[in-house]
Amino acid sequence: MAKGKKVTVIGTGNFGSTVAFILAMNGTCHNVVLRGRNYDVTKGKALDMSQAANAARQHTIVKAAKGPEDMAGSDVVVITAGAPRTPGMSRDDLLIMNADIVKMYAKEIKEHAPDAVVVVVSNPLDVMTYVALKYTGFPRERVLGMAGILDAARMAHFIYEKLEYGAGQIRATVMGGHGDTMVPLPKFTTVAGVPIDDLLDSEEIGEIVKKTRNGGAQIVNLLGDGSAYYAPAKSTTVMVDAILKDTNQIHSCAIMLQDDYGYSDIVSGVPVMIGAGGAEQVIEMTLKNLQVRKFRDSVASVQEMVDTLQELKFFDDL
Amino acid sequence: MVNLNLQVGKKMTGRKVGIIGAGAVGATAAYSLSMMGTCKEIVLFDIAEGVAQGKAIDIAQSTQYAPQPTIITAAQTPADIKNCDIVVITAGVPRKGDMTREDLLLINAKIIKSVIDDVKVHSPDAIIICVSNPLDVMTYVIHRLTGWDRKRIIGLSGALDGSRMAYQIYQKLGFGAGQTGKLVIGDHGQNMIPLPQKVKVGLVPTTDLLSDEEFADIIERTKNGGAEIVKHLGTSGYYGPGRAIAFMVESILDDAQAVVSSSVLLEGEYSHSDVTVGVPVVLGKNGVEQIIEMTLNTKTREKFKVSVESIREGIDILEANGFFNA
Repeated sequence: MAKGKKVTVIGTGNFGSTVAFILAMNGTCHNVVLRGRNYDVTKGKALDMSQAANAARQHTIVKAAKGPEDMAGSDVVVITAGAPRTPGMSRDDLLIMNADIVKMYAKEIKEHAPDAVVVVVSNPLDVMTYVALKYTGFPRERVLGMAGILDAARMAHFIYEKLEYGAGQIRATVMGGHGDTMVPLPKFTTVAGVPIDDLLDSEEIGEIVKKTRNGGAQIVNLLGDGSAYYAPAKSTTVMVDAILKDTNQIHSCAIMLQDDYGYSDIVSGVPVMIGAGGAEQVIEMTLKNLQVRKFRDSVASVQEMVDTLQELKFFDDL
Repeated sequence: MVNLNLQVGKKMTGRKVGIIGAGAVGATAAYSLSMMGTCKEIVLFDIAEGVAQGKAIDIAQSTQYAPQPTIITAAQTPADIKNCDIVVITAGVPRKGDMTREDLLLINAKIIKSVIDDVKVHSPDAIIICVSNPLDVMTYVIHRLTGWDRKRIIGLSGALDGSRMAYQIYQKLGFGAGQTGKLVIGDHGQNMIPLPQKVKVGLVPTTDLLSDEEFADIIERTKNGGAEIVKHLGTSGYYGPGRAIAFMVESILDDAQAVVSSSVLLEGEYSHSDVTVGVPVVLGKNGVEQIIEMTLNTKTREKFKVSVESIREGIDILEANGFFNA
């Protein structure tokens, strides 16, 4: 008989904690391992969540990892670790700092959880997914970045704000990188099957696209100290659930492209079919010229950051 | 036990759903609602003695393992279905071998008439979900017999046909289960209009996943969705209809403002009036909150017209037989 599912969440900030909490409330896995830098804090959170699971009549046990060996046997490992950008820090400073963190954890995963599917949520997302792929040495289907689900959820919310109905039924499509160059595809959006063009005019749709691009920044500005984590965490658990339950559902995820959409050896967000083995299939959508160009720009911006890391000899120890 | 002496007038009441006709469809709707824990109370009624009582007890016992409690009772008379927020009407007979369409229409319209008077008296503020067949005509009958605001009378059609279409799409793809849009308009019968080309599977348009030939097959199989089950089972399906009813009930009770194709009375929408037919509507606490007018191409508009005419024929048969005269 198959054993219970196990998920390790690396990073116990708001994001990682919320991912673990949702998993415990859903009961989709029997074991959640939290890996944080401070063992006592991590253990405190793990206890709190295990107790919440009992209140929710769920069977999930949350434990704090004492060391990397505690992630052994994980079906999924989520990497949320990474520093936020603080004032005075350049984009490149952040890039190299987080790339180092992800590299360290990727090596641990390679050693201790060699069969896991890795879900990366550290930023800049596409590059960090690239780093995790290189340093785990896993096949590309087992290293995925979470971006498109979150961006689409944000777009769906902004569409709801205009419509005031259809919440939870709005299927938005966002592909490309997770950042300023994301590619929202409003023409592909439907509400319970009804095309968005029948419900909103092009001006309204333009406004929604703009708001979607700015979705993360808007929350950062409002919070004043920190960034969003409820929607990011829920979007992450959508991927984790799809893997654990082997749903074969389609989600927009960051993945290493290999002759997909005309690109190779670069990570970007595209629709993939997710199952127990990770991304079991990349799905090619027909894009219009403008969308093709936007996707190209998006891929180029990720390539630029990978190049920066190359120049800094980041990958030389591979 | 201490009586807190709540003032009944001010007390918030739980959500109550009445189901008239506790056959397989009605009972499955009740079971699905119980497992989701959507309502406080469900009342079942059936003309066949003991059926509602037996099923109510069985479902009530199953709720011991449900996430939320639900009270399930059986009504002894239709008058016991009182003060419901929603009344689901599944009552009616199926068409038998020697029965003409006219026979069926008149028999079921009379059954509806016999239950609707009680609903008007005992649940005067309810929203009615009609499940009796022929669906669109029976929904129209309820409009005429109650004279209620059209928002409060909704026929189950697209919620079920759409799920059948989504199933057929999944059968072709082998992935994306539960992620497919559900869009079927027109009548709940042979002239229904499944629109698989318009929907998406997750974030991907079906047009990137299926060929024209496959679309044609999906449309055909969706239309025959009910008949296919009858062929295997010897009787109509009830899990799909039961869950579709429960979904509509949940959308209304939760005020979800959910888009669901349903049979509603048109008053000029899609260029038709005084006829009930399936179109996408927004379901919320008031019932039909909004009718969504999609842009239909010429071909689909023509199909829609054929569909409307087929429903009108049924209404005309009832008119010709003096059904509405009383």
